[in-house]
Order: sequence, then C-alpha cells, then structure tokens
Amino acid sequence: MTDQSEPGVTELDPVIHAQARLRVVSALSVLRDDDRITFPRLQESLRMTAGNLSVHLRKLEDAGYVEVTKTHHGRTPATLVRLTRRGRLAFDDYTAALRALLNPQEES
Amino acid sequence: MTPIDDDAPPVNPAESLALIARERANLGRELTPDPRLMFWPWGFAWLVGFTFFFLRFGPDGRVIVDLPAWLPLLVLTALFIAAGIITGVAGSKVSRRIKGPSNRQGLMYGLSWSIAFTAFSTVFAQFSGDLPEARAGLLWAGGMVALTGALHMAGGAIWDDRNLFVLGAWTSVINIVGVIVGPGWHSLIVAVAGGGGMIVAGLVGWMRLR
Repeated sequence: MTDQSEPGVTELDPVIHAQARLRVVSALSVLRDDDRITFPRLQESLRMTAGNLSVHLRKLEDAGYVEVTKTHHGRTPATLVRLTRRGRLAFDDYTAALRALLNPQEES
Repeated sequence: MTPIDDDAPPVNPAESLALIARERANLGRELTPDPRLMFWPWGFAWLVGFTFFFLRFGPDGRVIVDLPAWLPLLVLTALFIAAGIITGVAGSKVSRRIKGPSNRQGLMYGLSWSIAFTAFSTVFAQFSGDLPEARAGLLWAGGMVALTGALHMAGGAIWDDRNLFVLGAWTSVINIVGVIVGPGWHSLIVAVAGGGGMIVAGLVGWMRLR
C-alpha cells in the first residue's frame, strides 16, 4: 500500500506518521525479534482503549508492519502482537528520518 | 485529556522522538521484573543468613553468640526458599506477558541455576565429610557464592545487563577475598559485601527503571 520505497527526509512514512500508530510501533520495537506481546498488556502500556488499539493494529497489519495472532491459552483466547521485520525497518527508517530532520548538518 | 486516538501527526520531530522514547520506556518497564523483588529478598537472605553463620562459627573457631549449631543453616535455607518463591513469582508474572524466544531463554537461564547448584552440591557432599568442620563450611559457602557470581556474570552477558554483570564480578571478588582470609571472616564478608551488593544492585536497577 505504500508506494514510495524509502521514506526520505522530507516525506515521512504515512503509516507511522500518525501519533497513535507511532506510539504502537514504538512500544512494539522494544520486543526482541519473534517475541509477541499479549494484547491486554500492550493496551495497558499504551493506555488506549481496546477498540482504538484494534483499529490501529488493523491498519498496521494491512501495511505488513505488525502481525496479530489469535491463540488459546488453555480455554481463554489470547491475542498476541509482534512487529514484523518490515515494521521494524520502517520504524528504524522513521526514527532515522526524524533525527535527520533535527540535525540536517550531520547528514553524510 | 488530550485525544490519543486521532490520526494527527506528531507536532514536530523532537516531540516525536520524545514520544518514541516514552513508549519504549513504558513497555520496557512492563516487561522487566521489579529489580527490588528480584534482588532484595536474596540480599536480605545473604545478609541475615551469613551473619548467623558468622556469629555461631566465628574466625578461629570462636563462638561469638552461643546459638544452637543447627540454627544458621536453618535460617539461611528458610530465607533462600522464601527468596526463591518471591523472585519466581515476580519473574513468571512478567514472562507471561511475552510469548517467544525470550521465554525459552529465561527458562534455560533458570534451569542453569537449579542444575548447576545440584551439581555443585553433589560434588561437595562427596568431600565435605573428609574435612574439618570449618574447612567443609568454607568449601560449601565459597563454592556456592562463586557459582552465584558466575551465573550473575553470565546473566549480564546474556541480557547485555551491565548492572547484573557488575554484581556477579563483585560477588566473585569478595568471595575470593573471603576464602583467602578464611572461615568465619568469609561469612561476615559474604553477609555484608555480598548481601549488601545485591541490595545495591536492586536499588540501582529500580532507579534506572523509574
């Protein structure tokens, strides 16, 4: 869905360039590769409503940035969320672009 | 309350970076067991338990406080069990929030402790009967403290946790000093410097997380 390849200094990734989704991706970036976090725990950390978080996760999932898995823990269903490799790359690019915007003279 | 559910972009790059750092710190806190719960029960156990040993089995065979001979080991064991339960509950509460390689890593690290302590105990039990009481006590205490130091250093290496590594190195060094100085003094050094080191590590870890 994102046509532009690497978000440059002037054009920031529109998927992440929304406060709520930036917060979601930032939190998920703490997880190590292949680790998944339970939905309620992520929700608590972000202090978002469940519905609100679901909406943003859906958008991030559509972009291929996060992976949402539904599983069962005993009898209780559990939803797990992880950042995909693509999502991590997009996040790294986004933070690099932000730093470049702050310190344009440091660009090589 | 400011709306957090809109799709508005962050105001400026500096604010965005602050937002990123804040959310990373928030979730990082959720996924780290409280260092106070992980270190203080052990620090307290070492401080109190080894002080009992020092008072009953002092330097040069002196009895500083005439406690029953079985009491120090009983106190130390009871405090270790309590500390194990507290850290086990605190650790597993946090690890349940995550599913993935980190769980396996934590499990392997936890098993390393149990298996290594069982192995050391088996070796020491074979030889401690051949030694005078004070030397046997030093073998057990010195060996177990050395193992604790080594496992803490390994933990520091695994999780890239300098605090944990420094604690392990510190524990190892004070143990070497204590073993060289001899029975009795070893208990005092381990109680004060070893237990104290863990209490400091818990405090430092907690202050970093806040």
